[in-house]
Amino acid sequence: MLQIKNLHVTVDGKPILKGLDLNIGTGEIHAIMGPNGSGKSTLAHVLSGRDGYEVTEGEILFEGEELQGMEPEERAHKGLFLAMQYPVELPGVNNMVFLKESFNAIRRARGETELDSVQFMKLIREKARMVKLDEKLLKRNVNAGFSGGEKKRNEIMQMALLEPKLAILDETDSGLDIDALRIVAEGVNALRSKDRSIIMVTHYQRLLDYIQPDFVHVLVGGRIVKSGDKSLALELEEKGYGWIEDEVAA
Amino acid sequence: MNTAQEARQWFTRTVQEGSDQLPGQTLEWLRNIRGSAGQAVETLPVPFRMQEQWRYTSIAPLVSRHFTPSTHDFTGLQEIDLEDLQLPEMDAYRLVFANGRFIPQLSGLSALPEGVRMGSLRTALSTDPERLSAWFGQTVGQEQDIFTALNTALINDGMLVYLEKGIRLDKPVHIIHVSLELNEPVIVNARNLIVMDEGSGASVIETFVSTGDSVYFNNQVTEILLHAESKLEHVRLQKESRQASHLSNVFISQQQNSQYHGTALAMGAAWGRTNYNVRFRQEGGVCNLHGLYTAGDQQLIDFHVDVQHAVPNCSSRENFKGLLYGKGRAVFDGRIVVEKQAQKTDAHLSNSNLMLTRNAEVDTKPQLEIHADDVKCSHGTTVGQLDAEHIFYLRSRGIDYASAQKMLCLGFAEEILDGIQQESFRAYASRGLQELLSTAVHDTGSSGE
Repeated sequence: MLQIKNLHVTVDGKPILKGLDLNIGTGEIHAIMGPNGSGKSTLAHVLSGRDGYEVTEGEILFEGEELQGMEPEERAHKGLFLAMQYPVELPGVNNMVFLKESFNAIRRARGETELDSVQFMKLIREKARMVKLDEKLLKRNVNAGFSGGEKKRNEIMQMALLEPKLAILDETDSGLDIDALRIVAEGVNALRSKDRSIIMVTHYQRLLDYIQPDFVHVLVGGRIVKSGDKSLALELEEKGYGWIEDEVAA
Repeated sequence: MNTAQEARQWFTRTVQEGSDQLPGQTLEWLRNIRGSAGQAVETLPVPFRMQEQWRYTSIAPLVSRHFTPSTHDFTGLQEIDLEDLQLPEMDAYRLVFANGRFIPQLSGLSALPEGVRMGSLRTALSTDPERLSAWFGQTVGQEQDIFTALNTALINDGMLVYLEKGIRLDKPVHIIHVSLELNEPVIVNARNLIVMDEGSGASVIETFVSTGDSVYFNNQVTEILLHAESKLEHVRLQKESRQASHLSNVFISQQQNSQYHGTALAMGAAWGRTNYNVRFRQEGGVCNLHGLYTAGDQQLIDFHVDVQHAVPNCSSRENFKGLLYGKGRAVFDGRIVVEKQAQKTDAHLSNSNLMLTRNAEVDTKPQLEIHADDVKCSHGTTVGQLDAEHIFYLRSRGIDYASAQKMLCLGFAEEILDGIQQESFRAYASRGLQELLSTAVHDTGSSGE
């Protein structure tokens, strides 16, 4: 699904990722963990095609195709999805209008038929129920006045709607209380499938109690320094990141 | 560049050329009004850039060209001529004016309720001159500017809407001002009058459109008299030819507890300016005036809003938003004056501008002049660009750059369009804006900076 080879990325000329390698197979769930400033969010943003991140070396192959130089919308059309750490509020943009436009834009790009308002309404209500998002929030402006939990549920609802091949969840657990976290995790678990890969970027092990990864990677100093199964996450929870940072330094 | 003298000659000549065959010349009061306005044209200052009111807006495009005062009556105009204009579908009383002249055969005024008069001012001059004489010039008062004086000197036709005491109109009034393509550039001096008697209520929507790329100068003056407890929704949509010049002077006079809810939408013309003059004459008046303007290449759109609180306990809200693209230019000048005796005034003025390109320009000047000490007043202005984070969010969801910009621009404008109570007209205005934005974001280019 995704192959990242020797990826080097700078932000404002400052190197953040320094030779990152990662292979994500179809249907796999990978957790990327690491201390603050290790480059976790940079990885998520580079994958989604955000401006301001310069790839100076390496390659990112999504289903064999190089992602560099591809606009964010093209990546979305090809099946990439980023659930944001801080979903923005869009003043004056109605959530329903936005969701329908997004859904149909992707259908159009894939040569599929668009849904009309009635069909779409039926579909989005079903998705909203899945993440327990109040239908009233569909009628409001995008994320406007949403609580932290509602914003994250709105993100996962979009993931459910757009059915990406690869979803990147950037710190999806941040700012959530335990109930909200459970609802979000249930949503993600319902979207697990043998055709869909998921990358979870997280600082804490907590999220992994609810969404069990197949692989756990530790990102330190812009590189993946350790990989393992979910027991690695538990070890990190217990011992913190210090011992790995020491190992790397040594 | 014209000299002030040349500009003066332009005004003088326009009055001379337009003075033949004006209606109602047998009415002494009208002759007097026209006569003194004609004299005022000789003495009132000619606008030039050194005057604060005209600092950012040159009248050179108007006075450097010969406009023939329009005298056509278009009696042969048929329905078919209007079809191309794609006017909104609305269940409304309809008044159509072509180059300032009322076209009865295209208007729909059947089943007008008792106590309502609407139609042509020209007709009313012959059927009801006494009443007109009482209303005329009341709101304009002594505050004349030279363009208003020019209009007054050449009063010919225009709309008249009059509601008697307590009448609430069941349907909106839609006034279509269409400028037809003519062989020569014309100046239209339409004079409009809305009089709302005590406790009456109405929704009046004016649409200014043109056929083709006509070159003309639309010099409109609208007087609005709101008597006690009356309520008026007044929408003005200007989407005239990109070759046209449009100047509107709107004078609003509010009596006790009257309410004015205005929405001004400016989406067309090469040179467009609207001056709103709001005067509270008695306590308890409410004025909500919202506006949206767009300006692209070779367009200058100007709004001057002047609200005077001379009496206590009135409230006014002015919220204007601008969308600028290409090399578009806009001017916003909003002024609220609160006189010493106007205690408990609640007045707020805001102007925000969204610049889609680096070459667009806006000059904005909100002013608050407060002489009373127990008031709630505020004013603010912003000039900004679309937020890169917002655009990225939409693009990451598969929406292309141009569409993302369009959605966000519509989102920016939403607040103003939302204020329009007639749903079908709101949808019509929104469609118009969407079409315009398709060109606007195209002008901006297809990739981010």
